[in-house]
Amino acid sequence: MDHPQDNPETVRRRPADASIELARVAVAERDLTDLLTHEDIDRAQDRWKVATARVEGKRVMPFGGLRVLWLLVGPGILVFLGENDAPSMLSYAATGSRFGVGFFVPFIVLTFLMGFIVQEMTVRLGAVAHRGHAELIFDRFGPFWGFFTMADLVLGNFLTLVTEFIGVRAGLSFFGIPPSVAIGGTLIVVAAAITTGRYWTWERITMGLAIFNVLFVPAALLAHPAWAQVGHALLHWTPLPQGSKSDILFLILADIGATVTPWMLFFQQSTVVDKGLQPRDLSAGRLDTLLGALLASVFAIAAVLATVPLFHHGIRAGEFQAAQFAQALEPWIGHAGSALFALGIFEAGIVAAIAISTSSAYAFGEVLHTGHSLNRPLREAWPFYSILLGSACLAAGLVLIPNAPLEFIILMVNVIAVLAMPPALTLLLLLVNDDEVMGNYANGRWANVAGVAVTVLLVCAGLGYGLATVFPRLLGG
Amino acid sequence: MNQLQSLPDVQLTEDDPGANGERISLEQSEAALSVLEADQLVAAKQRTRFGRRKLSLSAKVLLWGLRIYVVVMFGIVLMSVLHALHTGH
Repeated sequence: MDHPQDNPETVRRRPADASIELARVAVAERDLTDLLTHEDIDRAQDRWKVATARVEGKRVMPFGGLRVLWLLVGPGILVFLGENDAPSMLSYAATGSRFGVGFFVPFIVLTFLMGFIVQEMTVRLGAVAHRGHAELIFDRFGPFWGFFTMADLVLGNFLTLVTEFIGVRAGLSFFGIPPSVAIGGTLIVVAAAITTGRYWTWERITMGLAIFNVLFVPAALLAHPAWAQVGHALLHWTPLPQGSKSDILFLILADIGATVTPWMLFFQQSTVVDKGLQPRDLSAGRLDTLLGALLASVFAIAAVLATVPLFHHGIRAGEFQAAQFAQALEPWIGHAGSALFALGIFEAGIVAAIAISTSSAYAFGEVLHTGHSLNRPLREAWPFYSILLGSACLAAGLVLIPNAPLEFIILMVNVIAVLAMPPALTLLLLLVNDDEVMGNYANGRWANVAGVAVTVLLVCAGLGYGLATVFPRLLGG
Repeated sequence: MNQLQSLPDVQLTEDDPGANGERISLEQSEAALSVLEADQLVAAKQRTRFGRRKLSLSAKVLLWGLRIYVVVMFGIVLMSVLHALHTGH
């Protein structure tokens, strides 16, 4: 029998079988200490906590499972609250100020449902294969398709990172904080979060920051939403948006891009792997993802509702940035409300800056086969941390350049994310149906139907936007 | 030794390292290995890879079609944004 080390590139059996064999060989050779790394030990520590919580949880029913859940949640909440980022919240704000309460409220819920369908597949892939998304794409489909996917990811991630720093700068400018202080402070927070050398600490710090996405809820309450109208819109998807079809399609695409984007696939799968989730944790992983989608959809709708007063008073806010939205809202939701809105944009930017730069670093580490875990110390995985911090610094630097085309980037970022999504989703569907990778955890029929439906919907939305842009009279102007 | 519970792949006891919250050390390799799946180990991942999968013709056509779609759509977005910036809209 070939030994796995003999020819690593051609091992095609299930990895579990191959590595169980490897572990057996290692045990037999009594070189366990040599085999284990710092990363393994940290991950084992986290798994041990889960195992003990499971045992103890059975003694204190019915709430014993809560500790297990607390230990296992993270990637799902982070990915969805991370995607409620500065450009996304500005897209929701533009939606509320442009069209008020109506079609877009249930549409946003639908986009989060689509997000859940897609992200659940990445949880399964990560927990079963224990490999990141970029690594699996390169290994299974080769460098040709891998590089295309990485090009989409790198372009999308960098542009999105720039918009996060624009959000940070704009959010804090409401309080009179100079751009250099706002951007510098954010970089310090990003660096502080990753220098713990521990995935668990990084995850909890970032979750602690992410929960401040809730700031949009009190801002929305201060706008005194017409709840009956919200309920009616959720049930009937009306009133339909009026105006230029091209503008409506642009906002539809921007709102989809605020929920379903390529970096989310890479980020959640890599964090599931780094956290050490296993197939037995899939229920908790799904619950984590569902919880993230629910929280993020509530906060997204809150951002829409907070800006509805601008719609009622006929204030055009299509090109507003964060501080301008907050200032324009002040007469209707008060100084406290607009301060909450500005703080919310700042928070959205800072959390997404951490999440997106981490997603880039994971993907590069996986492709280059260098250390790519937040459980690794800085000296051991310096290329991983360098990419993480370097991408953040580069994006931050661009925001500080006078007269940089920032408006151009904001306009493009969410739309580019949606347009790059169908190829990424197709590769995801191929992977999650791959018996050699997934074994018994491969997609069932309904998961495939849902996945294909999301992909077709994204392609149709993109084509509709393209047609409306190239032939503006085709859809009635 | 008080046996707490038999999990499918973990025999956890109160006397086990880490069971009461202490840190597992490198000297307790067996304890770490008992809670990790074999293919979660860094060494296992470095030494084993998934092999290349042969894509069917339909999958290749689909991927190429979507790649062309992305390039064309990126071009349209670029044109529309440049137009928007130029007209000041």
